[in-house]
Amino acid sequence: MAEKFDNLEEHLEKFVENIRQMGIIVSDFQPSSQTGLNQKLNYMITGLQDIEKCRQQLHEINIPLEAFEYIDQGRNPQLYTKECLERALAKNEQVKGKIDTMTKFKSLLISELGKVFPEEMTKYKAIHGDDPPS
Amino acid sequence: MTEMFSTLYGQNDAQGPPRSSSLGFGPGNPPPPLPPNQVPMAAQMPPQLGDEGPALRKPGAMNEPFYLLRELPVGNELTGNTNLITHYNLEHAYNKFCGKKVKEKLSNFLPELPGMIDWPGTQDGSSLRSLIEKPPVCGNSFSPLTGASLTGFRLHTGPLPEQYRLMHIQPPKKKSKHKHKHNRPQDPIPQETPSDSDPKKKKKKRDDDPDRKKKKKDKKKKKVRLLP
Repeated sequence: MAEKFDNLEEHLEKFVENIRQMGIIVSDFQPSSQTGLNQKLNYMITGLQDIEKCRQQLHEINIPLEAFEYIDQGRNPQLYTKECLERALAKNEQVKGKIDTMTKFKSLLISELGKVFPEEMTKYKAIHGDDPPS
Repeated sequence: MTEMFSTLYGQNDAQGPPRSSSLGFGPGNPPPPLPPNQVPMAAQMPPQLGDEGPALRKPGAMNEPFYLLRELPVGNELTGNTNLITHYNLEHAYNKFCGKKVKEKLSNFLPELPGMIDWPGTQDGSSLRSLIEKPPVCGNSFSPLTGASLTGFRLHTGPLPEQYRLMHIQPPKKKSKHKHKHNRPQDPIPQETPSDSDPKKKKKKRDDDPDRKKKKKDKKKKKVRLLP
């Protein structure tokens, strides 16, 4: 899995470096630079071919669209991962609090009902057991 | 009124006195209490609106003494009661992203990428969202450019205008604080070394300054000694 990403990353780095060098050539163009520019253009096309080959290995990878919004805003996409983890933990704690509260309420209710309706509660416990799953 | 009511629900006269229509048998309303002579069996309950035939009850509840007592739902092993981050072995990821401070800018995530990548993509039309909304034409093969195709890439000699020179420029690093660094786009040569050398030069200057101060102090002391 990581090898697929390494392969793609390598091709992308080479591609970006090639584009950067083309930018340097073009920024102050000289007639003698034409052959080098033509060569860089063909390197760019072979780079695109290599990246196209990598696509077949990564067609099962899914990326959340929210991460794209971070990139479009010029923000670090690791912030999206961080916020996901923080939200997951907060929700986990919230749900755990609800479960704990409901469990305490259930046990309290059963004990109080047992005091007020002892016969009915014995029938109830006979149906659902003394320790019903929570 | 009661006759219409009874015809709607098929109530027999033998079941006892007619019930009050004001209580209603609409969906969601509980039925009125039965007289003590009646056996509290579900089969003798009048059908409610929307039911097809006799009152719907789960077979298990038919013989139970508690009304509407249902079976408890099957408990899931994985609930919010467990720490899901520990369960899915994400502790390392949590410490990595939430334990340390994650830098805000995109250039901190991609430090080797040239150009000004911290700008929003909507400004120069390079956003990923636009790529999704308007995908480019795919499926065609990439073929190398021939001699005839390359004639279109013959350029005029001379430098580019300043607005088009940003591609090869490295993003400014945080160590530099001086304003002269913003004038870097004017230089056509890639500025990998100047960005690294300027802080070093400044550090050298800073290092020299305290030495110079010490030398000045020593000179002053020597002058004071010599004067008398």
